[in-house]
Amino acid sequence: LIKKLFIWLVQGEKIMGVVLIKGCQKGMQITWELGVKVVLPIYIIVTLLNYTPIISLLSGYLTPLMQLVGLPGEAALPVALAALVNVYAGIGAMLPLGLDSRELTIVGAMVLMAHELPVEAAVSKKTGSNVISLVCIRLLLAIILAVIINLSI
Amino acid sequence: VNIVEMIVQLVKGSLILLGELALIFVVVMVVLEFLQEYKVLDKITAIASPITNIIGIPREANLPLLTGMGLGISYGAGIIINTAREGKLSVKDIYLVNMFLVICHGLIEDTLVWSALGAKIIPVQIGRLILAVLLCYICSRYFDKIAHHDKTGKPVISKDIFPGG
Repeated sequence: LIKKLFIWLVQGEKIMGVVLIKGCQKGMQITWELGVKVVLPIYIIVTLLNYTPIISLLSGYLTPLMQLVGLPGEAALPVALAALVNVYAGIGAMLPLGLDSRELTIVGAMVLMAHELPVEAAVSKKTGSNVISLVCIRLLLAIILAVIINLSI
Repeated sequence: VNIVEMIVQLVKGSLILLGELALIFVVVMVVLEFLQEYKVLDKITAIASPITNIIGIPREANLPLLTGMGLGISYGAGIIINTAREGKLSVKDIYLVNMFLVICHGLIEDTLVWSALGAKIIPVQIGRLILAVLLCYICSRYFDKIAHHDKTGKPVISKDIFPGG
């Protein structure tokens, strides 16, 4: 029995080792293909954009849209930031606005439906799908979901 | 703006980002390999496949779908690339999974964070899920309708259907 247990342990350890190495290799491969080639360049571009007035300009354009979904005009900034940078950039811009729970939920709906668009579009593109249609779907559904949430709470 | 400070921040941010990505991808892939070794994923995708079949997503695509839904679009896409390389997914499958995932992904992290902020985020997440299922169902039917059919009656969907693909 001890011998059997020993053999089982050694074989188990071998399988574990193989699986572990295979997983690490695949993980690093995906890090290279998605992380280095896709996410990183766009992260750098958007970070640089942050130093230009483009993002504040965009949030100015979005102000009428905010009123449509029952949000104050300033809420355009977190929505625009989240759409271009990521959810956390949006949250960072949202916190100083002092929104109530209802408004937070509406911003959440918009941000969760349409965030990190450049990075996520590039990721989808890498899988071979048409990205423009996917981004349009997200933007459209962000407004639709926000209107629905605004009317229902 | 101080240029040096900007570059330092950019490099620092990039390194942190890459480190995080590498860590998450390696952990996720190791866990997935173990789950695959012990056939756990087969069981999970088998349970999910009757549901995903209705919206036109085959069992082979359940793994990227479920991973992306739970963890985030990059992880889902990583697995799509991995599965597509094994030649198991059609153009339509990949498009549908992508469409589902762009609408509804990263449910675990987002729900935790936004609930903590004080938003009533559960109805929002349910709304995303419903929209994703609905849109996938409609598009799947539409793609099948406009597809050519081969001799056995199986729909053949060419890449031309997806403009600019």
